[in-house]
Amino acid sequence: MNTTFNKPVVSGAVEGSVDEAVFSALLKHVDALPGLVYGKKGKSHLREKITGYNNAARLSPWLVIVDLNHEECAPSMRASWLPSPAPHMFFRIAVREIEAWLLADRQSLARFLAVPLTKMPANPDGLDDPKRALVDLSRFSRRRDIREGMVPTVSSHREVGPLYDSSLSEFAETKWNLDAAADVSDSLARCIASLRALTG
Amino acid sequence: MTAQPNKALRFTHVNLENWKNFIGVDVDLQKRAFLVGPNASGKSNFLDVFRFLHEIVSVGGGFRAAVQKRGGVSTLRCLAARRHSELAIKVSLGSDEDRLAWEYELRFTQDNNRIPTVATERVAKHGKDIITRPLEADQTDPKRLTQTYLEQVNVNQEFRDVADFFESVRYQHLVPQLVREPDRSVGHPNDPFGGDFLEQLARTPEKTLKARLRRIGAALRVAVPQLKELDLERDVRGTPHLRGNYEHWRPQGAWQTEEVFSDGTLRLLGLLWAILAGSGPLLLEEPELSLHPDVVRYIPAMFARMQQRTGRQILLSTHSTDLLTDEGIGLDEVLLLQPSDDGTSVRTASSFEDIKVLLEGGVNLAEAVMPHTAPSKSKQLTLFGEPVPGE
Repeated sequence: MNTTFNKPVVSGAVEGSVDEAVFSALLKHVDALPGLVYGKKGKSHLREKITGYNNAARLSPWLVIVDLNHEECAPSMRASWLPSPAPHMFFRIAVREIEAWLLADRQSLARFLAVPLTKMPANPDGLDDPKRALVDLSRFSRRRDIREGMVPTVSSHREVGPLYDSSLSEFAETKWNLDAAADVSDSLARCIASLRALTG
Repeated sequence: MTAQPNKALRFTHVNLENWKNFIGVDVDLQKRAFLVGPNASGKSNFLDVFRFLHEIVSVGGGFRAAVQKRGGVSTLRCLAARRHSELAIKVSLGSDEDRLAWEYELRFTQDNNRIPTVATERVAKHGKDIITRPLEADQTDPKRLTQTYLEQVNVNQEFRDVADFFESVRYQHLVPQLVREPDRSVGHPNDPFGGDFLEQLARTPEKTLKARLRRIGAALRVAVPQLKELDLERDVRGTPHLRGNYEHWRPQGAWQTEEVFSDGTLRLLGLLWAILAGSGPLLLEEPELSLHPDVVRYIPAMFARMQQRTGRQILLSTHSTDLLTDEGIGLDEVLLLQPSDDGTSVRTASSFEDIKVLLEGGVNLAEAVMPHTAPSKSKQLTLFGEPVPGE
């Protein structure tokens, strides 16, 4: 019997709302319950608070997801952020950004963005700037609302359009196929495998 | 709903001279505009320009009434302006595809009896003047200059679209206490502060009302999960009441009226209603008030989604860093108001080089913009209550 009562509840901290949607989808995928989510004010905010989160992870399971961005490599970043991780801390670094994990589900994302499958990057983990890749991909969308929502105007001076977060969160929560994505992204596969240890 | 959001008319540019806090304003407007600035910098006075245009053309309004409601020309005129200078409002209307469909310019002053008079009234369509006053007839009969052509249906046929557009402007700044106690604001039809909010709801055709309340109820549950259902009912005296069915220990839940709704519930409900009712530009004062930060941060995206369906423009004032953390807010959508001895200036955030480079370096918009809007001496507030020297 697998009721709500014996599913582990996992709290956590993330950079923003897309990451929060990925956080929930990941935990549901491994049959855990998403608990309270902290942070959501960018990477530097997480960096400042990580000691507090690590303290909390002495008592109950925590999942912290953070983008590698352009830091050198994941192991050295892990060592500098969390020299002594607490027993229940799952600290995952997305290479280079969490968007790579979404791009890895090529079929569903191509359909969601209404772009040809041939435009989808073959190796999302190897992308230098997955966020920009996703925005550029959206320029090919057959749907005007997707293009206008995802792609920023030149005069906005922003990296993403007005509905980037909102659309990708919707994708992560409702359309994202994690099995398919894990086949393509090693970094995601490793994250899922370590979380599986939670639920057995 | 407008079928073609990209063709929906909106304000694309505004010029002001000597209007309240502003000696001179010359700024582009996008589909969303986020006004930020210190207290009393003139955010509401900026929004008031659009309310003023609305009042010129609204039933029971008119140019003279709209000026006098604001205390007359001498009150409206910027304190930093020269004494007898004219006030001027010039707006461009257009859409994404056609940014300069219309221009409307109104310059005015007052005569020796303090009656507001039109100095210039100009309407252009696609850059070509349709009307430029004063006309010869205005010179011979100056009384004609106490009215705009805009407000007169018998002379505005050629630019009726402009008048209709101004008429469609809506302003909302809902005060929860006024919704709960409408007696406090009797006799203000379409009160933007919510005095007749429940009456406005009750005037809506039943089918539309039910559909809107269903949608609002579903959206409200995000912020107030225990709220199961919303409806509107009249009591024995015929007064309308909003009722919410709250789920708790009773199996059927419990119905409660707006009198016990929280401030946040009422504010969010009013905001959602304002979004669904009407199609013209919507002016909002601090939509973040009483709301949880995790609700506030999704407000910009909620507006963007709504605009994809309707193209409806939203101009709002805000002090909220949570609202400004949204990464999809364009620097051209943020208007910074900065007071100085020469009145308040209004500039888009994209015209500040330091804001651009801060963002490129990973600083979020709120962190980059807010220091520009902080009052320089706010720290002195902590000294309030200390004895003043000589007291």
